[in-house]
Parts: sequence; C-alpha cells; structure tokens
Amino acid sequence: MSTLLITITQVSILLAFIMVMVLILTYLERKVLARIQMRMGPMRTGPYGILQSLADMMKLLAKEDIRPHGSDRMLFYLAPLFVFVPSFLIWITIPFTRNIVVENLELGLFYIVAVSTVSIVGMVLAGWASGGKYSILGSARSAAQLISYELPLVFVIAGVGILAQSFNLITIVNQQSSIPAIVYQPLGFTIFFVAGLAEVGRIPFDIPHAESEVVGGPFVEYSGIRWSIFFLAEYANTLAIATLSVLLFLGGWSGPLTEHFEWLQPIWLILKVSAILFLIFWIRATLPRFRIDQLMQFAWKILLPLSFVYIMVNATVPFVETVITSNAASNQLTGIAQIILGACQILILFLVAFAISKRRKKYLTHLHQGVPA
Amino acid sequence: MDNIPSTEPVEFMLNVGPQHPATHGVLRLLIDVDGERISQVETHIGYLHRGTEKLCEGETFSQIISLFDRLDYVANFNMEMSYVMAVEKILGLDVPIRAEYIRVVTCELNRIASHLLFYGTLGLDIGAMTPVMYAFREREALQAYFESVSGARMMHNFFRVGGVKEDLPEGFLESLQSYLPKLKQAVQECDQLLTLNDIFLERTKGVGILEKVDAVDFAVSGPNLRASGVEHDIRRTEPYSIYPNLKFSIPTGTNGDSWDRYWVRMQEIQESIFIIEQCIDQIEPGPISGRTRTVIRPPKGEAYVRTESPRGDFGVYLVTEENKEQPYRIKMRSPSFCSLMALETMLQGEYLADAVTILGTLDFIMGEVDR
Amino acid sequence: MISIFRGLITTLKTTFRRPVTVQYPSTHLPLTPRYMGFPVLTWDFKIQEPYCTGCLVCARVCPTDVITVSMKDNPKAANEESHRRKIVNDFKLDISNCILCGLCVEFCNFDAIIMSDFHEEGSLTRVEQDLPLVTLLDMGKEMQDKGKFTPPPPKKRPPAKAKKDEPATDADPEKQES
Ligand code: SF4
Ligand code: SF4
Repeated sequence: MSTLLITITQVSILLAFIMVMVLILTYLERKVLARIQMRMGPMRTGPYGILQSLADMMKLLAKEDIRPHGSDRMLFYLAPLFVFVPSFLIWITIPFTRNIVVENLELGLFYIVAVSTVSIVGMVLAGWASGGKYSILGSARSAAQLISYELPLVFVIAGVGILAQSFNLITIVNQQSSIPAIVYQPLGFTIFFVAGLAEVGRIPFDIPHAESEVVGGPFVEYSGIRWSIFFLAEYANTLAIATLSVLLFLGGWSGPLTEHFEWLQPIWLILKVSAILFLIFWIRATLPRFRIDQLMQFAWKILLPLSFVYIMVNATVPFVETVITSNAASNQLTGIAQIILGACQILILFLVAFAISKRRKKYLTHLHQGVPA
Repeated sequence: MDNIPSTEPVEFMLNVGPQHPATHGVLRLLIDVDGERISQVETHIGYLHRGTEKLCEGETFSQIISLFDRLDYVANFNMEMSYVMAVEKILGLDVPIRAEYIRVVTCELNRIASHLLFYGTLGLDIGAMTPVMYAFREREALQAYFESVSGARMMHNFFRVGGVKEDLPEGFLESLQSYLPKLKQAVQECDQLLTLNDIFLERTKGVGILEKVDAVDFAVSGPNLRASGVEHDIRRTEPYSIYPNLKFSIPTGTNGDSWDRYWVRMQEIQESIFIIEQCIDQIEPGPISGRTRTVIRPPKGEAYVRTESPRGDFGVYLVTEENKEQPYRIKMRSPSFCSLMALETMLQGEYLADAVTILGTLDFIMGEVDR
Repeated sequence: MISIFRGLITTLKTTFRRPVTVQYPSTHLPLTPRYMGFPVLTWDFKIQEPYCTGCLVCARVCPTDVITVSMKDNPKAANEESHRRKIVNDFKLDISNCILCGLCVEFCNFDAIIMSDFHEEGSLTRVEQDLPLVTLLDMGKEMQDKGKFTPPPPKKRPPAKAKKDEPATDADPEKQES
C-alpha cells in the first residue's frame, strides 16, 4: 500500500515537474526566437512576459473543446492520451542526478525506445479520427517520418549500449565522469541529435505539422485542452531528447566540482540541457524545412547507413582493443582506444559532409555564372 | 468478390484556401492529390473581387488614384504610376522632370519593399521563420520613408495627373542616401540566410519549372518571365518616364525554376538600389506638377499604358469621353493574373509541399488578380 | 553544408543586436510631419468660427462619400464681424469609412479641413464613428495648438470688395465641380 502511495506521489510530482518545465520551455523558446529575429517576444504578461505561457495555458483550458462533425468520437478523444502518455512515461527512467530518478530501470534505454514508439499510434489516430483531409495527410506524414527516424535512433542507442556494456542511464553517465562521450563518439551524437530532432518534429523536420502546407497536421481539428495536450507532449519530447543527448553524450550531470559538491550536479545538467535546447531553437530559427521525400532520403540513404557504420565502429574498436591487450575483464575503453574511436568517427563525419557538399557543387554547376557571393 | 477494396491508388481532393496560410490572400485551389503528388489543380479566384474596374467608371479622375492604390497593395506607387501615365497620355501632358524623378525613386523603393515581402513570405512557406522578420525590418524602414513623402505608409494617393502631390520633404534624399548602404547590407544578410542554403536549394532547385515557351504562351511577365530566361522588362523594351536615362541590368534566370524566380527578385533589389542611387545623383530642383487645375476633363480618346510593376507588366487601358469627369472604361491587365494561369501546368506532378513553394515564388497579389 | 553554418552564424549575429520592436500602446513611432490621420476641421481663432463655409466640395470629392455637410447664413456676417457670408451648419465625418486619401484637404478652397495626427479612433459602436462638427473642430483646435496648421494668408482683396465677392467665392467651387 505504502509503495503504491509513494509511486503515486512520485509520478504526480514528475507530472507537475514536466508541466512546469514545458511552460518554462515555451517561454524560453519564444524569447530566444524573438531575440534571434530582433524582436522582444512576450513582454506584456508580467515583467518581461514571464507569465505568458501560463496565460496561454489558461486560454487553452478555457477554450471550447470542438469535435468536428464526421470525426470518430472515441478515437478523437483518446488520441491525445496516446500521444501524451508515452512522452510522459519516458521520464520515469530519466535520472536527474545520481540519486534522483523515479525508477532506475536496468534496461532504461531500451524502455525509452520501446515506449516512445507508441506515440506514433497516437499521431495516426489523431489524424484519422479527426476526419479531415489535412489531418490525414499530416498523420500519414508523421507516421512515415517517425518510423524512419526511429531506426537510426535505436541503432545509436544500441551503439551506446555496446560501448557502455549497459542500458542503464546512470551507469552510462557514470562512465563519462572524466570525459563526456561526445569526445570519442561525435558521430553518435550527431546522428542522435538529428534523428531526435526529426523524432520530435522540430524544424527542419517539422513536416507532419508544417504550418504552411498541411496547416497543423494531425492536430488541425483539435482545439482547447486537447490541443494543449498534444502541445505538452511535443515539448516534453523535445525536452526528453535534449536531456537524453546530454545524458548519453555530454556526460549528464558530471562536470567540474561535482565530486565535492553534490548540489552542483543538477545545475550542470540544467546548463547542458539548456545549451542543447538553445541549439534546437537556433536551428529552428535558421533553417527551412525539408520536403517529405527528401526527409525520407535523408533518413534511409544517409542516416541509417551512418548508424550502421557507427555500430560497426563502436563494436570493432573495443573488440580489437580486448584482442590486443587481452584484457576482457574491463568494460571501459582505454584512452588510446577512445582517441582512435573518436578519430574514426570524425573521419566518417567529414567524409559524409564532403560527399554532401560535392553533391551540392554539382547543383551549383547547373546554375548560371552570376551566383551571388 | 465485389467488396474487396480496390488496390488502385486513391486520389482525394484537397481544398486549399481561401483561408490557407500559404495562399497569400484568398486564392482557392482544388488539388487532387495522389499521396503527396498533385495530379490535377483547379484554380478559383474572385474572393477579393471589389469591382474596381466598374467602380472607376463612376469616380472622377482624381478619385481613381486612390482605387489604384488598392489593386496591388504592396506596390501602391507602381499602380498609381500606370494610371496617371494613362491619363497623361490622353491629355498629352508633359510631366516636369523632377516629378518624374520623384516618381521613379518612390516606385523603385516600392519595388524593393515588395520584393522584400516576397522574400519573407517565401521563407515562411518553406518553413524558415527568420527571413520574414529580417524582411519586415527593412520594409518597415522603407515604409517610414513612404510616410515621410506621402503621409501614408501604404495607400499613398501621392501621384497626380501631371506630377506628384508634394515635393520630397527636406532632407529626404540625404537620409535615403545614408540608408541605402544599410539596406544593401540587410539584403546581403537575407542572402546569407537563404539563397545558398542547402535545404533551400533542395526545396527550390528544379521545382516548378516554367519553360520559356510556356511562360510566353501564358503571357507571364515580370520576374517570373525573366526567371525563365526571357530578357523582357518594360523599363527596357518600352522605356517610360526617365528610365532611358538610367543604367540598370536585367537579371535573368536560366531554368525557370523556383530558385531562379527567387534569385531574379533578389537581384532586382540590388538593381533597384542602383537605380535609386543614380536618381539621387541626377535629381535637380524644379517644378513638381505640370497642371494646377484640380478637375480633369480629358478629351475623347483611348490610351494603353504598360509599366513594370514588381509583379510584371501592368497595363492600364483607358477610354475617355468628351468633357466628362469620369472615364468611360478602365481595364487593367494584371501580371499576377497571368502568372496564376500558368499555375495549373506548373503544379502538375509536383509534391504538395512544392505547391506551396511554387505559390510563394510566383508572388501574386490577390488584390491585383481579382481587381 | 557550409552554407547552413553560414546561416547559423547570421542568425547568431542578429541575436545580439538591439531589438527593433516598438512596444506599441506604450511607445509610439514618431509620426512624420506629413502623416495623414483622420481629417479634422480648423478653427478661425481671429473671428471665433470655423473656416469651413459648408461649400460641399469635400463631400463631392470624397471617394467613399463619408462627409455630410450643410450650410447656413453666417450670423456674424450680418454685423460685419466675419467676411464669410455662409458658414457650416452641420458637418459629419464617418471615420469608419474614411480611407485617409487626403482628397478633401486638397480640394477645399478655404483651408478649412486638414489631415490630423489622430489615428487611434477606434470605438465600440458604429455611431461613435460618426464624428460631429464639434468633435471635429475640437480635434482641429488640438492640431492647431500643435502648430500643424498655418492659417491661409489674408485675402489680397480689401474687405469691402471681398464682401461683394463673397457669393462668387462660395459658388466658385460649385461651378468648377458641376
Ligand atoms: S470643402 Fe472645405 S469649406 Fe467646403 S465644406 Fe468641405 S471643409 Fe468646408
Ligand atoms: S480623407 Fe478621403 S476618404 Fe477621408 S474624408 Fe477626406 S476625401 Fe473622404
């Protein structure tokens, strides 16, 4: 009984935490975007508009909940939950420091991948149940996109698991206490970040709900609180991807001085996550969006082969190392192996960038001479 | 066996507009899509029809200027220009040279403003959020200049038959001259953000190709025509006003695809800046209006005047009656309308997402299409 | 690839520039001297009466027909206080339909109407959008206080002769218009 109570408390605290984080995140996103575009962003609600997202939430809660004629009532009401619940469940196993985690699952990464896939169902249901043409187009797009980008994501996570010999997030972070994994796995980070962006549908991969094409994708017909649930899920996912990339590749909460001061751990985590989030916002402000076929090509022709290569490299280097040093007991890479691994991955990254630029050169030769500098 | 669902690809009809964010106003498209591919398009226009042509028949010649402002509502000066030139042609009126310079300066500024708007909205269509902000930042500055000249930011009612309403305000040319380098820099910033961006290239290169032959057949004009490789610019082929005195080049594309249409417009901004710089050098003090009478009663006659508006060849056909204050008939030839006619051929077989790009690069203004 | 990074750098650069936003209701952009807000009527402080003679020219020239004017005999003209034989009786301007074209100002022969700076004249009902003569004159006085209006130069003709010419001046625009 008491364990149940404890679990319920923990989960509700987590839920509240995510809600608050999403509110802060939307505010920050608007502010950052505004600054990039030389605007001010929300300024009216409270000093510097800090209450803006709260006001938005109030507005959404008070809005009429419209169900379009011709929609499937039951599925229409269920779909938001199908999207939101997985995005919330992910957080159960994400640790915030060495000790703060709701449930430290041994196969945490595996769990995250398994659960997050369910949200595809929600997207398709939402589009289908709305009975609108734009929403069906949007949900078809989002199903295609999520499925394609799920694969590279899973492969990268597998690669990380191979190297860490564990799927437990806390173990993975602890192994990075001296050097963050991005140093010797830049390729992994790149794939994870790009696939993650696509997974949460941020620009340049926001094709499912492209505002100017399918107006809002699967969520066109939703309004009020149901729409806000989708919104919540989207931002919770963004936050999750940012946190995961910090945990997997940027060393999580480990940083200078964390050995001595325990309370510095969450601060380091927050700083790192904010940096990744800023990167996401920055990219959002800069890049146009892909087209659906280009998106698929990118996933299947570039990202997926790359993630194969990534797994191969990740598996080969430790294997060679154990063969050479005949030291099978340690599951940690030595410094030299790390350097070799990092060099390999950077080389691969450069090769790919070179190949892409070469293709672009071919493009430009078709242009006339007067290309602006 | 009858109830086995057919495995034929199912097409469904998508109603895009008139309230769709990408249709730039109230264009309505009926698109048959097969998956993401467009198989057929039907264009419906007329949602912004205000009957301008008919309205003009009941208004006096001086009132009509304000109606022309509202045709192409992002290039108001250019619209006024065509109308006043038509009336002047019937009256056989000579416009003072300073007035011509003022007209050209404001028209070219307006061309820049219009192309900046194009740049911003194209960015939005393609999914980039920042271009529109950069573009509007500069457009705001330009509109402040318009306000200082005419008193209004958009609907100026500034040109008059035989000249302009007022002289340029004091210090206008100086401040414009100091602003132009800033504008150039801002345009370069815009360039860096989009022009050669890989994703932008992917999205626009080879998309929505308008062949030279098709472009000519559909009477497409302006930047859309020039992108297809036809060097046709009314300012050059049938020079009017003081354009013969000015040096400028006509940027043309080669492929007629979306990127070329975009590029031609970005180059035209540079050319317009160049034209304005020349005007500032050449302009001299003098009278600004050739006639003082306020009521215009032109003789019986007809005139057709074409000017190069930011969207292309804008023509005004004016028929007047003897001793009447109102025209007998005014017909406008609008470039956006012709561009829209080419839409059906261009959209065939493209992706749905590209439809948005193509609509964006055609740069039509519904106010001008529907009149 | 490089161009994407170039784009990122461009956006990063603008991040640290000053925002161009103007917080509208609390701060306003400066209006240029030629700014055309709603037309208002001017007040002749010398004689304490409006310049407007109710000649109807503006009502006729207005493209959207938003002006309604009527004219009456000027009581001050009887005891020679004013040189205006006729004066405006009632004037109504429906600003909800005014397109701020400035034609009325251009055509008025008596400098009785000017374009003001007023542009925030929203109201809750349509009736409030019909500005009566008094309001227009008040707004005009405010504009005149700001120095936005230079009174017309005194007529070259001597007052005695002007009195005789007065009907002609009144009728002149009418003649021109018909
Ligand atoms: S034209 Fe001038 S004087 Fe005549 S009614 Fe109008 S405002 Fe009054
Ligand atoms: S500004 Fe134009 S629309 Fe307004 S009252 Fe004067 S003439 Fe009529």
